[in-house]
Amino acid sequence: MSAVARLRERFAADPSRKLKLVGATGQLGYGIPAASLGEALRRQPDMLGADMGSTDIGPTFLGNGQMATSAEQTKKDLAALLKGARSLDIPLVIGSAGSAGAGPHLDATLAMVREIAREEGLKFRLAVIRSDMPRDVVKAAVRAGDMRSLGLLAELTEVEVDAASALVGQAGTEAFVRALEQDPDVIIAGRACDTGIYACIPQMLGFPLGPVMHMAKIIECASLCCDPGGRDPILAVLDRDGFVLESMNPDRRATPMSVAAHSLYEQADPNEIIEPEGIANVFAAQYEAVDERRTRVSGAVWHPASQMTVKLEGATRVGERAVLLAGSADPRFIAGAKELTEQVKGVVQNLVCGPGEAPDYTLNFRLYGLDAVYNWPEPPANPPREIFVMAEVIADTTERAMTVAKSTKQYLLHHGFPGRLSTSGNLAFPFTPPELVAGTAYRFSAYHVMAVDDPAPLFPVNVEDV
Amino acid sequence: MRLIDIARVVRSKNAGPLHLTFDLMFADRANYDRCVQSPELNAARIAPLYGVPADSVRIQPYPVALAVKITLPRLAPAGSPGDRDVYGAQQHVPLLELEL
Repeated sequence: MSAVARLRERFAADPSRKLKLVGATGQLGYGIPAASLGEALRRQPDMLGADMGSTDIGPTFLGNGQMATSAEQTKKDLAALLKGARSLDIPLVIGSAGSAGAGPHLDATLAMVREIAREEGLKFRLAVIRSDMPRDVVKAAVRAGDMRSLGLLAELTEVEVDAASALVGQAGTEAFVRALEQDPDVIIAGRACDTGIYACIPQMLGFPLGPVMHMAKIIECASLCCDPGGRDPILAVLDRDGFVLESMNPDRRATPMSVAAHSLYEQADPNEIIEPEGIANVFAAQYEAVDERRTRVSGAVWHPASQMTVKLEGATRVGERAVLLAGSADPRFIAGAKELTEQVKGVVQNLVCGPGEAPDYTLNFRLYGLDAVYNWPEPPANPPREIFVMAEVIADTTERAMTVAKSTKQYLLHHGFPGRLSTSGNLAFPFTPPELVAGTAYRFSAYHVMAVDDPAPLFPVNVEDV
Repeated sequence: MRLIDIARVVRSKNAGPLHLTFDLMFADRANYDRCVQSPELNAARIAPLYGVPADSVRIQPYPVALAVKITLPRLAPAGSPGDRDVYGAQQHVPLLELEL
């Protein structure tokens, strides 16, 4: 009998049973504290969950198919969770495999999972949810007007859909519930709503969805809702009216205030949790201290959507990136740095392009110490003692980008200006070469919402015995 | 008083790759009320700090956590060329000087 089938049987025998869920990590692959994971397992939970992805890391990983986390640590984290879940014979649910959840990320994650199973002698039934969006379906939705921009990006076009290096959809709880119907021990999903990881088993068991979604949204970040917030696993004990939160690190306290405040985190609206299948409104939620380290949450209300939607994420290649890293401590160079770097852009263009030719690359400077992080409208009242200069070049080929970066380095180093004192060079390089190949640059080309009547065909589930 | 003098937390972060969201959190009701009731806390004052139209700035008090949320569009999608802060975690700084 699989772990999911066993869980179903236990609840059939005792429908008033509470469900114990562990949010092991909000970002698998950076390390999971072993002591608090051990404590989570000692509590005999009914499921383990982990999120692996986010759009936080930018469009690059979605575009190039690589993980943002190291293979070594990712495999270690996966092994810890697989061994833990199998030792208790409970379901393990993992979402947004391999950082961005497209085919290459999912396949790399699955390869690690199979390797761990071989090495550790683990046997289990694995359900896999794929999240790559068929281009013809998306283009048909564009034509039918079933696509909504979320602002900033223009309306999606068929050309943009075809040009995307990768195009995924966020699988909702619906896809995880379909995977559970296959009676697996382990579920691994491509790109997915983080809530689906934790909402699917409660939904299968008939728990009311308001508190379920509220809980799922909180525990997908592990112990971040605590005071102090952190990355340790968290335990949620769910009943029919609400749930109790407890960090598995004794130094982290889930207080009514810290849990309520977590609703703000990364959310545009603290009162609404928007899901493909509906909206959980947490406006009337109650947060009550059970003791110093535990808080009980209840009162969220679920409103099913009249129209199901899928959020799309697409990344498109922009070009190849090279960067130049340098610093300066010269007060006159710093005073003129904004203007001087602009001048060097023109100098470089004349060197690397033919007469009258427009640049076939982009060259942008970031002047750290002046206005690189935030675009200050005024120069600083007191000039900084040092600045860091980063030049970013994007061109069609790496060779071209490096050509521009290298000429930029040389001509910024020796750029003359009135009053210049340091005539042997304007820059300090921390090492050479100061010009580095930074890989392919991508942009988010899709972050749109697609109306769908039936998301099931977009997120196919396959099962294998590992 | 400036925001930096009375807030417990002032943070910024992406809310998806197209929006920035800011959380201003206070240790007590008095400072929360001071912020919420201040004429400085309005879209017309905040919008120019981020180069966006005032009608795209949403300010939402969240009394249960003694917090105020501000959400506005990014100038470039996160991590796309032209962006300065992929996670959006360092865009809170101009708010620190708001006189409340």
